[in-house]
Amino acid sequence: MNIQDNYLKNKKNIFFTENENVENHREILIKIFENDRFDKKNNESLKNVNLKNFLDFNYKYLVPEETSVINNNNDNSYSIVSVNGQCTSFKDDKIEITKILDEDYNDFSKNDTIEKNDHFVNLNSLFLNSGFKIIIKKNNNIKIKISNIITDDDLTIFQKNNYICEEGSSLNLIEEYENKNNSTSNILNVIKLEKNSQLNHFLIQDNAPNHNLIITTHSSCKKDSIYNQKVYNFSEGYVRNFHYSELIETNSEADLQGIFFLKDNNTSNNKTFVKHLAENCKSNQVYKGILNDRSKATYFSNTHVDQVAQKTEGYQLSKGILLSDNASYFSKPELKIYADDVKCSHGSTIGPIDENAIFYIRSRGMSKIAATKILISSFINEELSSINDEQMAEIIQKKLVRYLSKVK
Amino acid sequence: MFLEIKDLSVKIENKNILKGLNLNINKGEVHAIMGPNGCGKSTLANVLAGKEDYEILNGKINFKNNDLFDLNIEERAQEGMFLAFQYPVEIPGVNITPFLHSAINSKRKRMNEEEIDNLSFAKLLKSKASDLGINIDMLKRSVNTGFSGGEKKRYEILQMSILNPDLAILDETDSGLDIDALKIVTNGVNKLKTKDNSFLIITHYQKLLDYIKPDYVHVMVNGSIVKSGGSEIAAEIEKDGFQKFQ
Repeated sequence: MNIQDNYLKNKKNIFFTENENVENHREILIKIFENDRFDKKNNESLKNVNLKNFLDFNYKYLVPEETSVINNNNDNSYSIVSVNGQCTSFKDDKIEITKILDEDYNDFSKNDTIEKNDHFVNLNSLFLNSGFKIIIKKNNNIKIKISNIITDDDLTIFQKNNYICEEGSSLNLIEEYENKNNSTSNILNVIKLEKNSQLNHFLIQDNAPNHNLIITTHSSCKKDSIYNQKVYNFSEGYVRNFHYSELIETNSEADLQGIFFLKDNNTSNNKTFVKHLAENCKSNQVYKGILNDRSKATYFSNTHVDQVAQKTEGYQLSKGILLSDNASYFSKPELKIYADDVKCSHGSTIGPIDENAIFYIRSRGMSKIAATKILISSFINEELSSINDEQMAEIIQKKLVRYLSKVK
Repeated sequence: MFLEIKDLSVKIENKNILKGLNLNINKGEVHAIMGPNGCGKSTLANVLAGKEDYEILNGKINFKNNDLFDLNIEERAQEGMFLAFQYPVEIPGVNITPFLHSAINSKRKRMNEEEIDNLSFAKLLKSKASDLGINIDMLKRSVNTGFSGGEKKRYEILQMSILNPDLAILDETDSGLDIDALKIVTNGVNKLKTKDNSFLIITHYQKLLDYIKPDYVHVMVNGSIVKSGGSEIAAEIEKDGFQKFQ
């Protein structure tokens, strides 16, 4: 079934089909699908992707019977269980949670940072069936943990979430994706950081082999705001992490970091993109991967510095360890600089584990497997030791131990 | 015989490095091997420790009644062999204390000895570090990470004193050390020397041998030992260089 037929057949289960602007936008998207030649070589969103599985899919969505639960722990921390991409509405003096609205859809459809030929984002807009909007109110400092649950096999979740951090607010956001069923989640997070706000965003991904997770984030930072993102991908299923940041006002910062742990035949595609559109902004993009067996990964990083963005600091780094001759990691860092007073760098190192280091550790009496595990832990030490949240650090450590137990 | 190397020939990447080398070391002896750059000294150290890049063409090595080639790298270490590296490897994020604790326990496990607990190990480490004049703060750092050349060598000797090997091989431990660091390192070695353990010291210069007195000095040229004798050979080399042995 082609995309248009699939869309028309399932229209009754898709959001905002009554809104003219949304429908006009969707018509454009359908035309993009019809006219695209799906050139895998030049389209970063198509690398390592089985086109048939993603374009010719069986749409299935179930509205959750029981709406999600929100616990206010009275200590500025909230626990949210999002079921099939939905979340119940909630309001207090610090946060407000509502369903996603058609005006949010229309607002984002005008943004041109994400490429028009990113088919997964386009599918998200076309088949949108869930999502929520969270507003962190002015000058509040809170923590939110979101557990993303999918109730049934074969569901296709197309979810758009909006986060707005109002002026002077601060949010620690932990998102957990731990789905065991055979389903697909295609999620787009749109994040707006107002003046002098901060979002520390942690994404813990640990899905079973049959679960596909496609997650895209678009954050925009106003004056003196900071967006920090840390992705920990332990999934045994396919994961796509594409994360975009726009620094739209002065003194704003974006730090996009990720670590992925792959094994068996698993694949992970990653991309970070920072657009510097104002003076005195800083960005950092660091991804590290450990690949075993026949696993595959890609990482595209990109810093774009607009001509007005003087005094920019923009750094990129990509590192990978290949634990097997059959694993592969493709990394492509890019810099596009149109200003003349900037500090920017990019680097990429990928290779097998350092044999001299293995020899050194073994010469002290430890086995080859123990030496390999020590060196993997050493490789990601900086990222692990920088986790300030004790609960988070413990979760990540447990998952790391589980991954290492499979390394032979 | 404690260590017996018989007619050892080794190559790496189609280049013959060791060519029929013979060497015998008894318990309690200190042997020094001196030789010019590229003569195969470090290759000998690496082959003894079990580095897998080399192809053994011929020969036998017997260590404590074991055929050394039957033992892998860690088994050799667990049997009591220790290589102090010329260039110790940095391992960021891996703290020295648990690293050495794991090392000592893997040896004790092989020897069917009870593993040493955290507290006893911490005490042992502290006392050995203090013997070697190593600041306790250094034990909070990652293995070799950000260490100066002298600190790395001192840390190698600390590892050696903790693991208490039967045979310690020091691969150019003196390289890159100033005179004060050299004294600390050699004092450490002298403190460890007993009638039950042996040392094989690889060096370019006689200087090291002013502080560690060898029982035997061997001159190695072009992959084999060409002359053996007492410490008078080291003085001869210091005076005339290696030219006359080539």
